[in-house]
Amino acid sequence: MVHPASASEAMSEQSTVDGASTSAGETALPLAGLRVIDVGNFLAGPYAASILGEFGAEVIKVEHPNGGDPLRRFGTASRDPDTTLNWLNEARNRKSITLNLPTPQGLEIFKRLIDKSDVLVENFRPGTAESWGLGWPEVHAMNPSIVMLRVSGYGQTGPYRRRSGSGHIAQAFGGLNYLAGFPGETPVLPGTVPIGDYIASLFGAIGVLVALRHKDQTGRGQLVDVGTYEAVLRVLEEIAPAYAMYGKIREREGAGSFIAVPHGHFRTADNKWVAIACTTDKMFERLSVAMGRPDLAAKDLYGDQSKRLAAREIVNRHVIDWVGSLSRTEVLHSCLSESVPVGNVNSIADIFEDPHFIARGNLVSRNEEDYGEVVVPGVIPALSKTPGRISGLGPKLGNANQDVLGALLGMASEEIEQLRKKHII
Amino acid sequence: MTETLQSEIPAASPGPLAGVRVLDVATVVAAPFCATVMGEFGADVIKVEQPKGGDTLRKFGTPTSRGDTLTWLSEARNKRSITLDLRAEEGAQVFKDLVAQADVLCENFRTGTLEKWGLGWDVLHDINPRLVMLRITGYGQTGPYRDRPGFARIAHAVGGLAYLTGMPRGTPMTPGSTTLADYMTGLYGCIGVLIALRHRDITGEGQYIDAALYESVFRCTEELASTYSLHRTVRERTGSQQNDFACPHGHFSTHDGKWVAISCATDQLFARLAEAMRQPELALPANYGVQRTRLARAVEVNEIVRDWCVSLDRAEILRRCEETGTPAGPLNNIADIFGDRQVHSRRNLVSIDAEDINEVVVAPAPVPRLSETPGSIRSLGPSLGQHTDEVLREVLGFDAERLDELRASKVI
Repeated sequence: MVHPASASEAMSEQSTVDGASTSAGETALPLAGLRVIDVGNFLAGPYAASILGEFGAEVIKVEHPNGGDPLRRFGTASRDPDTTLNWLNEARNRKSITLNLPTPQGLEIFKRLIDKSDVLVENFRPGTAESWGLGWPEVHAMNPSIVMLRVSGYGQTGPYRRRSGSGHIAQAFGGLNYLAGFPGETPVLPGTVPIGDYIASLFGAIGVLVALRHKDQTGRGQLVDVGTYEAVLRVLEEIAPAYAMYGKIREREGAGSFIAVPHGHFRTADNKWVAIACTTDKMFERLSVAMGRPDLAAKDLYGDQSKRLAAREIVNRHVIDWVGSLSRTEVLHSCLSESVPVGNVNSIADIFEDPHFIARGNLVSRNEEDYGEVVVPGVIPALSKTPGRISGLGPKLGNANQDVLGALLGMASEEIEQLRKKHII
Repeated sequence: MTETLQSEIPAASPGPLAGVRVLDVATVVAAPFCATVMGEFGADVIKVEQPKGGDTLRKFGTPTSRGDTLTWLSEARNKRSITLDLRAEEGAQVFKDLVAQADVLCENFRTGTLEKWGLGWDVLHDINPRLVMLRITGYGQTGPYRDRPGFARIAHAVGGLAYLTGMPRGTPMTPGSTTLADYMTGLYGCIGVLIALRHRDITGEGQYIDAALYESVFRCTEELASTYSLHRTVRERTGSQQNDFACPHGHFSTHDGKWVAISCATDQLFARLAEAMRQPELALPANYGVQRTRLARAVEVNEIVRDWCVSLDRAEILRRCEETGTPAGPLNNIADIFGDRQVHSRRNLVSIDAEDINEVVVAPAPVPRLSETPGSIRSLGPSLGQHTDEVLREVLGFDAERLDELRASKVI
């Protein structure tokens, strides 16, 4: 299914969910002029390219002619049964071209693209790109100033590098999944989303931006190598230092926290949930006032964190009973009026009702040709002078073949038609 | 244990962010983590702390004999600490002088706090129009909840992640770590800062970055919002298995009482698992070879995989999965991680001689790995005010007399 290049340029309306339209001055985009080739699949790695695209980089997604990125089919169908909402959301701001990479002609075209690009993003299993002659030494030789981001479950080196490692596996390997769940019970998924893929991509984007700065100063590109597992391990506070020094193995802590009480999730009378986090004695004092039980915060009772930790169940019981006697709105109101850190445990339905998400532009509604209205998370972080923007949702497979092969690589229409016939594109 | 570690503080290379001066006036993990990452790549990070007690991160976690916790020693790596009372008029003036000499400022006070001290964006931008300022709060600088107190736990709840963690209809749980949103927002903040620095270098124009803890979590919920908007389906907690799109996909216990994660996103991967299980017939199209069938009969499939996993030790399951190319991995605890060959080979744990406490501290190495300009840990978290004199002399040219005055009036 090949669409003319104009499809990618088709005007689509964009607004935040409150109806305010968001205008984006393309000239102000801080990464304008950068060209990124994204030859990855799914999220780990490609999400880094999405961020660069939000801030103005031109992102060219290179996909296999036969079906393209499997993210197109992974998840919930949009109004077009062949395209998932995952794809529309996370492949934002891209042009799609098709290329049958392992073929000699496909590789030849890919090399020409590398020659004209600043960043290459890939997440094949380590060894795959090498088998095609696209390992780092080769890529570097083709374009000495290119920055290559490689994200894989285990990284490009080490004994497990060739293992298949999805985000879910790699975040388990990195130590996150072991920590989710009740103590001694089955470890649960730390949220039913591949959080490790996103975290690895954030580190990857930082690596690319740092490397681009180095390139601007020296002309030399480099390789950015991220193992998803190590990105996850890096954000687990002091668990490595504490194990090394004291042999302390962190275990699952359920809905609570080992270092503070009360610090967890509590059920309200209307069968919803709130999070309350009293990290300090002062916050517990405020909570006790909100609960109408200021006596609980007396120094000789539960005023000290150490006393609360020792009497964890009793303290939590007070909070459980109090929260359980009120509606969520009432709990929130009482806590906020005393400046107690509190929040709804929001479902996605709650989020759509929440005025703060709307005010911050966190839900962006777009009207896309062929897909109708699609709501996706907005761009973060918010930059005051050069905000990012969503210029388009996930493209149709090969929508920019003409544009990229013709305008960028200078191929004639007949040449492109030949490539299509030979299934190179 | 030591054999899994690399004893190294890499030779100090200037790093790709050399020459960038970062003022980190923030506390705990969120905005400081942005400064930490920048420091690993060579930025000069000056940590500005309250003279009385300093950053609360010094008390967060397991204490060392020095008083400061291991979290502090690890996460305040490469930073220089100065004390400065921003509430005092003279302290605020010194701070402004530092801002005039800085490229980046990281802060995460509650909204309005810096403004109250006369140190809001407008003032600082006037002092240094090239400044890039990272502002992280629970809810951001705008919107109806901007003044609410926000911690990562609250952000996980508000951003929709906690709701998705736990057994079906059971208590929503912590998504693995109570500071996840802090770290993630530090990463987003760092991306914003690096983009803004690039813009600054081209145009000379500084700007601020407004990041909210809950937004980082919400941004990483894949198609959750799109699906709700289109179909009004509310994603729920699914415990240790998630079979909306892939089956099997979850955690399974092994014969030796450990856990493995197995995930078969495609039919090909399930065929490999069936082979690892020595039951290739499971992957016949008439049985469970097709994802749609597996999703519809997820209970059966999970039971079959569960029975297999519980019949073998973890090592054997992983060996067979590796042999067949099945995506599987251990649910590592930190002890597993310390004994792991991959972690050793990648040098993910760096051991550093902390002279002032006569201990070796093991800390996670910088991520990501850059081939030409790798990040480094050149020092661990400093003592409170360890570099006050050094920095104020070097950056602002203060002399001994001036430093004494400031010290006498408890400004530093």
